[in-house]
Amino acid sequence: MDSVVFSGVGKRYRSLWALRDVHATFRRGEVVMVIGPNGSGKTTLIKCLLGLVRPTTGSIRVEGQVIGPDPGYRRSIGYMPQISQFPPSLTIGQLLDMMRDVRGLSPASADDGLVEELGLAAQLDKRLGALSGGTRQKVSAVLAFRSRPRILVMDEPTAGLDPVSARTVLDRAAALRSDGGTVLITSHLMEEVEALADRIAYLQEGHLRFLLPLSDVLRRTGADRLALALPKLLADPV
Amino acid sequence: MGKVLYYTLVDLARNRSVVAFTALILAVAEGLFLVEADPVKALLSLVQVMLALVPLVSLILTVVHTYDTHEFTQLLAVQPIGRRAILGGRIGAMALALLVALLFGLGLPLTVHAPGSTSMVLLVAVVLLAWVHAALGTLIALVHRDKARGVGVALVAWAGFVLLYDALLMALLFAFSDRPIEPLVLPIAALNPIDLARIAIMIRVDLAAMMGYSGAVYQQMLGSGPGTAVALGLMIAWIAWPTLMAFRVFRRKDL
Repeated sequence: MDSVVFSGVGKRYRSLWALRDVHATFRRGEVVMVIGPNGSGKTTLIKCLLGLVRPTTGSIRVEGQVIGPDPGYRRSIGYMPQISQFPPSLTIGQLLDMMRDVRGLSPASADDGLVEELGLAAQLDKRLGALSGGTRQKVSAVLAFRSRPRILVMDEPTAGLDPVSARTVLDRAAALRSDGGTVLITSHLMEEVEALADRIAYLQEGHLRFLLPLSDVLRRTGADRLALALPKLLADPV
Repeated sequence: MGKVLYYTLVDLARNRSVVAFTALILAVAEGLFLVEADPVKALLSLVQVMLALVPLVSLILTVVHTYDTHEFTQLLAVQPIGRRAILGGRIGAMALALLVALLFGLGLPLTVHAPGSTSMVLLVAVVLLAWVHAALGTLIALVHRDKARGVGVALVAWAGFVLLYDALLMALLFAFSDRPIEPLVLPIAALNPIDLARIAIMIRVDLAAMMGYSGAVYQQMLGSGPGTAVALGLMIAWIAWPTLMAFRVFRRKDL
C-alpha cells in the first residue's frame, strides 16, 4: 500500500526552482534512498514532506491524507536531521521529556530502546550544549525512533556517528521496514545505500531522474556497484 | 504551547546572556542609587540609562536567540504541533525571562531604595519596553534569513528610536516654529516606544526639563494620570503589532 505520494510537487525559492514536478510513490515496507549531487533538491523534497517548506505546486499525500495546515499527519513521521542543535542549557533527559510531551506520548508508549543501545542512558543528566557532534546525532536518532513512527525520514543519518552507532541506527531502520514502515534516507555514501536500499530515487537539478529498484539500476547498466552504475544510467537515461 | 514555553523558559533561565543581562541591570541600578544620595536624582539617571539599555539588549538578545535556535525550531516544526503553538511558546518564554530579569535586576533595587508609584510606573514602562523590543526582535529575525543582516537591522531600528527620532522631532519643531504643532506631537510620539516610555515615567516626576517636548505636550493636553495611561496603552499596541506580524510571517515561512 502507498504510504507517501508526491503529485507534481515543485518548490520555487524566488527565481530558483529547487524541485520541479516531482511525481513519486513511496510504499509501506520499503527503504528508499534519495541520492543526487549537492543542490539537487534532496533536502527540499524531505522538507516538503515534513511540512517545513510549502510546495509551490502540487500536493503530497501521507497515508491517504493530503498534507495541509493540520499538523496531525506528522504523528506518524519520525525525522532525523543532518544537523542537530538543541537548547544548550537543557539536559538530554529534559529534551526527551519535552519531545515526548510535545508528541503526546505516554512514558510507556515511547520506544527508549535506542537510549540504551547508543549508550546514552548514563548521560541523561548531561547538558546538550556540552555534547559532541556525534552524541548530538545519537540524541537525534533516539528522537526519530521514539514515537514508533510508520514513516521515517533520515537526512545523512550516519554523518558524525561512529561505525558501531551508525550500524545500530541503520539496523533499526531496516527493522522498521520489516514492520511495514516506510524509510526515506538521503545519503552520499554509496555502500550504505547499496546495503539498505530497496529503491533508489535520483534527483538532479530539482528533477526526479528515476525511482527504481536497486537491482534494476544494476541490471540495466551491467555494473556491479551503484557508484559505477550511476554515471552510465545518467548518460543513457531510462 | 505550554510545553514549548515551559522548556524554552527552563533553557533561558540558564542562558548566560539572560543571566548577564540581569546582573548588568542590577549593577547599574544599585550603582546609581549608591553614587547618588538623592533617590529622585538617582531615579532620573536610572530612567535615562534604562531607556537606552533595555531596548538594545532585549532586541539583540531576542534576535540572536531566534537565529541560534533555528535548528531546534525546525525540529519542533516537524512534530505534530502547529506553528502558532511553537511561536507562542517561544515568544511567551522570552517575555517571561525578560520579566523575571527586570523584576530581579530593576524591581529589587527600586523597592529597596525608592519605593513608590513612580518607581512602579518606571518598572512597568521598562518591562513593556523590553516586550516591545522582544516582539520586534522576533519579527526582524523571522523576516531576515541572514543573522548578520538581522542583527544589523535590529541595531538600525534601535538607533532610529534613540537617535534619529529626536533629530527628526527637533527638525519638525524648527521647520514649523511659527505654527502650533502640539496636536501633531501626540501621534508622532506614538511612533517611538522609547519616547512613550519616557513620557509615561516623566509625566509623573513632574520635572519639565526632563520631560522633553513630547512629554510636556502629553502632560499639557492629557494631564498626568491619563497621559501615563495613554502612553502605556500605546506601548501595548507596540507589543501587539510586531507579535501579530511575527505569527503571520512564521505561519507561512519556509524553515
